[in-house]
Amino acid sequence: MDNSFDFSEFSRQSKKGILIIYLNILFKILKAAWLLLFLFFQRFSKIPESTILYIYLGFAVFLLLIFVRAYLLFKNFQFKVIDNQFILKQGILKKTNTSISFDRIQNINFKQNLVQQALDVYQVNIETAGSNKTEISIKALPLQQANALKSQLTVKESHIVKDEDAVEEKPFLKIKPFELLKVSLTENHLQSLLLFVALLFGLFQQLGDVLNGLGKGEVIDSFIDENTSVFQENIILFIIISILILIIAVLTSFVRVFLFHFNLTVFIKKNAFEINQGLMTKKSIILKKEKIQHITISDNPIKKKLGISFITFKQAVSGKVNIKKDKLIKIVGCNKQQVLAVKEMLFNADKVDEFDNIHSDIYYKFRLYLWSSIIFIGINLLFYFTVDSVYAFLLNIILLPLFVIIVELKFKKTYYKFDEELLIVGSGVVETHVTYLPFFKVQNIKLNQSYFQERKNIADVVFQTASGKITIPCLSKELALRIYNLTLFKVEKSQQSWM
Amino acid sequence: MINSFQNLQVYSFPEVSEITFNSIHKNYLKVIFFNTFLFFLLFFVGLTVAVYFDLFEEISEYVYLFYLGITFVFSSVLVIKFIGFKKRKYAIRDKDISYKCGIFFKSLTTVPFNRIQHIEIDEGPISRFFGLSSLNVFTAGDSSDDLEISGLLQEDALKIKEFISTKIDG
Repeated sequence: MDNSFDFSEFSRQSKKGILIIYLNILFKILKAAWLLLFLFFQRFSKIPESTILYIYLGFAVFLLLIFVRAYLLFKNFQFKVIDNQFILKQGILKKTNTSISFDRIQNINFKQNLVQQALDVYQVNIETAGSNKTEISIKALPLQQANALKSQLTVKESHIVKDEDAVEEKPFLKIKPFELLKVSLTENHLQSLLLFVALLFGLFQQLGDVLNGLGKGEVIDSFIDENTSVFQENIILFIIISILILIIAVLTSFVRVFLFHFNLTVFIKKNAFEINQGLMTKKSIILKKEKIQHITISDNPIKKKLGISFITFKQAVSGKVNIKKDKLIKIVGCNKQQVLAVKEMLFNADKVDEFDNIHSDIYYKFRLYLWSSIIFIGINLLFYFTVDSVYAFLLNIILLPLFVIIVELKFKKTYYKFDEELLIVGSGVVETHVTYLPFFKVQNIKLNQSYFQERKNIADVVFQTASGKITIPCLSKELALRIYNLTLFKVEKSQQSWM
Repeated sequence: MINSFQNLQVYSFPEVSEITFNSIHKNYLKVIFFNTFLFFLLFFVGLTVAVYFDLFEEISEYVYLFYLGITFVFSSVLVIKFIGFKKRKYAIRDKDISYKCGIFFKSLTTVPFNRIQHIEIDEGPISRFFGLSSLNVFTAGDSSDDLEISGLLQEDALKIKEFISTKIDG
């Protein structure tokens, strides 16, 4: 245990924290009001000189007020470690007192954004799981102090701390920029595109809001109208736009992968993984073995050819908060040996992997076809009511085989297999996902059966874990009940803690 | 072909299919009916007000069809709710609690006691009038899909809560 700092008395963050909190608040305000500022500067020349002085003064007072707030936030943010508890006092007017016992701490992560890197301080995030929303982030601590805090908070598992120095020599996995390039080119570009569109849409809406406020809403509307009419007439434009979209998609996945996974290094420790990654914001995550609920190993046809896949670790999420992206920890660009090593470390999967895949009942395919035909009819009805041209229905030539291929692939890739300890569920359409779930991690279990399924004597089984649902669709009732009973038996008998 | 099952050792499994389930209290049917009645009363009142203010000038002679339609939907909903009520069943065993419901979409949920985070007992105003409460069981993670049993006698709900609490602590 690292006793170089005494945390038994209340202490504050590094003084640099004031600046970080200050910039943080400023950044938040900028993010919310950038358009207003932009509009303001556009009309800057039209404002008479006498008022400009007041505006400058206003800005200065505003910045000063934020600084005062940042200072007070800093001043009132105090923490200590005592009696196996982490205690935090914060708040300027509304004081909050939080105490977290060690065994509820799920993770202690270090993070560094650009400012924190420049000031050489670390952000320490203390994550907890369970029913409450307690999530603590200390914005600025020097590395040494951060390490000391971490080791004091994990005092119970002192053997891990000891190991940390010993095993650090050779990383288990290190991704070089060139390999990362390979990873990013083989990403799911459609997903990246959707993310990009969502981002754009958010921006667009903000723009629309402000312009509407200024009575210029029609400008955008007419702009869109003009462009859609051009769009309908011109096929060449359509192709150009498609190619542009493709380029944007690839670029987005490229940027995304480099931003999040730059310099990805994974160390294996006795009971944990240490993952370091990130370009702008460096993140260091300690992932304890017992906190992992289930893992998913994914690849797609191109990745498979290159022999790389990515592993997603799912940890317990806190109470009613939505599943945050943060809680999904991804290691990209693993080769076969590395995947095997990870599996070996977490559970005993050799035997189950050898088993034949059991596929869902054919009724599942029927259900998928039913759903996709409903969507298909919906799209066609939409065409019928919105587009005048008959040519729109030509799109069905692409759409119809697409639906068939998706359904067939999805059915083919849905399978499951299990032994006494471990459940393996396969899924995916273009990508292949294989999820590994040890039975004792299940929180509760559900058997769903529609009227038609009942007649066919099949059922769906839904496993609820602390990090989301896993469903096996359409298996025979007898099998479903056996898995149900087995799971209950394993959960009720298990002495192991699920986190 | 290697079948997963041949590798299963046979323990004394907790057989869900063999549990005897308890029905919920019959007074809860009254609560369900009352709620449904209130819901449809809104429609009836709305329709009557509309007729009173002569909003259906053009089709006023067909208004009785609306009344008929709503009555039909109301009675079929009542029938469905009645059958659905019969299907709501719960069971408590030594180590877990189960609940099943549904007519066209049946579901059976089981929560092992050693995964329960906390238990809540709620009483709506109408349920309270009949001395009934509902028992909510929460586990970790996404809590929207946990187990809720409505229509238990207040003292039964308390007893179950006590029972589970001692099981968790013990």
